[in-house]
Amino acid sequence: MPEIIVKYDDKVVERFVTEKKRISVGRTNDNDIVLENRGVSRKHALIEFNDNAAVVIDNESLNGTFVNNRKVTEELLRQNDSITIGKYTLIFKTEQDADPDDPSGFDGTMVLNTKKHRDMVANDQLERQIVSRYGCSVLLGMENAPFEEVELEREVTTIGKAKFVHVPARGFWMSGIQAKIVREDNTYFLVNLGKPGKTMANGEPVDRHELKNGDLITVGKSTFKFLQGH
Amino acid sequence: MRIAMISDIHGNLEALTAVLSQIEQQEVDTIYCLGDVIGYGADPATCLDLVDKHCDLVLMGNHEYAVIGYLSTESYNDSAKISVKWTQAALSDRHIQLIKGFPFDHAKDDLYFVHASPNNPGRWHYILDTKQAAVAFEHLKQRLCFCGHSHVPAIFAESPGGPPREKVGHDFVPNEDTRYIINIGSTGQPRDYDPRACFVTFDTDTSDVVYTRVEYDIATAQRKMLDAGLPGFLSERLAVGR
Repeated sequence: MPEIIVKYDDKVVERFVTEKKRISVGRTNDNDIVLENRGVSRKHALIEFNDNAAVVIDNESLNGTFVNNRKVTEELLRQNDSITIGKYTLIFKTEQDADPDDPSGFDGTMVLNTKKHRDMVANDQLERQIVSRYGCSVLLGMENAPFEEVELEREVTTIGKAKFVHVPARGFWMSGIQAKIVREDNTYFLVNLGKPGKTMANGEPVDRHELKNGDLITVGKSTFKFLQGH
Repeated sequence: MRIAMISDIHGNLEALTAVLSQIEQQEVDTIYCLGDVIGYGADPATCLDLVDKHCDLVLMGNHEYAVIGYLSTESYNDSAKISVKWTQAALSDRHIQLIKGFPFDHAKDDLYFVHASPNNPGRWHYILDTKQAAVAFEHLKQRLCFCGHSHVPAIFAESPGGPPREKVGHDFVPNEDTRYIINIGSTGQPRDYDPRACFVTFDTDTSDVVYTRVEYDIATAQRKMLDAGLPGFLSERLAVGR
C-alpha cells in the first residue's frame, strides 16, 4: 500500500496509508489528507494510484503543487518524491499510477508570499529555462564545481579527476573516473565506479542511484545539481 | 485577541522565564497556564509566583492536585512520588492556598481550556490516541479544546461523520466545521524528543494556532534539580526531551 508522509518544517506530522485509488489533498475536511493552512487551497491536489504508479495532479491551486521543488500540473511520482503544498511536504513511498480529473474554483486561499515560496518559484523558473535551453537534462555546478552547466545528452557521462572525463570534479582522494551518469530513455542513474564513499547523492554514498530532479551529486569535493529534462 | 498558552512547567524556572520573555516579544493580549506549574523541577515556588503574576488564568493540574493532598500518589512512579513530597516541602502555606483556588477548566464562547481532558477534568485522563480523543470529544461541548498533560504537542480533529484524525502539533488554522483538541506541549519538560520549551498562541480573530519552541538553559535547570536531591532521571530527561 502506498504511504504518504506529511511533514511540516521537516517534522513528520502524519503518516497516511491508503487502499484508495485516488486521494484528495486540501484544506477542507472532505479531503483525504487535510492540510489546515491558509496557503493550501480547499481542493488543492489529487494523487491517483494504479497497479504500479502514482500521479499527483494540481487542482489549479493558487500557490501551486511542487514535485522535487519543480512546479507541476500533473506529475508521475517515484519513490521518495517530495510534493510541496503550501508549507507542507508530502513524501511519497512506493511506486503507483493513474489519470487526471478535476473540480475547481477560487476558494479564498491566501497567496503564499513567504521568502521560501518565492525563492522556490523563482528557482524553479530559472532551472526550467536552463533545461529548455539545452533540451535535455543538465548538471548545474554548485560547490567546488569547475563549471556552471553541463548537458547530459550522452548515454554515459563520466565524472572524475582524470583529464579525459566528460565532467571534471575537484578533490585528490578519488579515482580518475570516479562515477558515471547513465541515461536510459529519460531516466538517469548515478553509478559509482571508483573509491567507495566518494560518489554521493544528497549526502549519502551510493553505488547506483536513480536521479530525481534537484538531486545533489557530490563527487570528490565537487557538488552538482541534477536537473531533469523533458 | 491573541492568547498565549503555557502548560506543564513543572518547576522549571529556566524554561518558564525563557518562554515568558519570548511571549513578551510577541505582543499577546493574555497568557493562560493550563496547569502542572509544579512537580519534578527545582523551583516550584518561584514558578507559581511568576505564573500567578503573569497569567490571567491558571488551571489546576494533577501535580497541584497531588501537592495539596487531594490526589493519592499511590499510582505514581517513584520519581513522581519523591518529587511530590519534595515539592510539598518547598511550598509555603500561601502557595497551597493559591493552588486551592485554581479551577479545573475554563470555557469561553467556543473555546475550552483544561489540563488533561474534557472528560471529567479531575480524573486526569490522558488523550494519547484517536480512541482516547473520541471519548474526550464526546464530553467536549465547545469547538476548540486546548490542553496539556501528556507533554507531547498534538492535534486531534473531529469532522462530522468521520472518526477523529491525529497529527503532531504544528502551526495550523482550524477548519470551521471541525472540532479540535489541541495539546499545547510542555514548557518545562517536553517529551516529544525536542528538548526546547514549548508554548502555543491562538488568535481568536484569525484562528491561527502557532507552536513556538524556545531554547533555554537546560544545564542550569538540571544542576539545580540534582543539587536539590531530585532523582537523576528527572533532570536527565530534560536534555533528551523525553
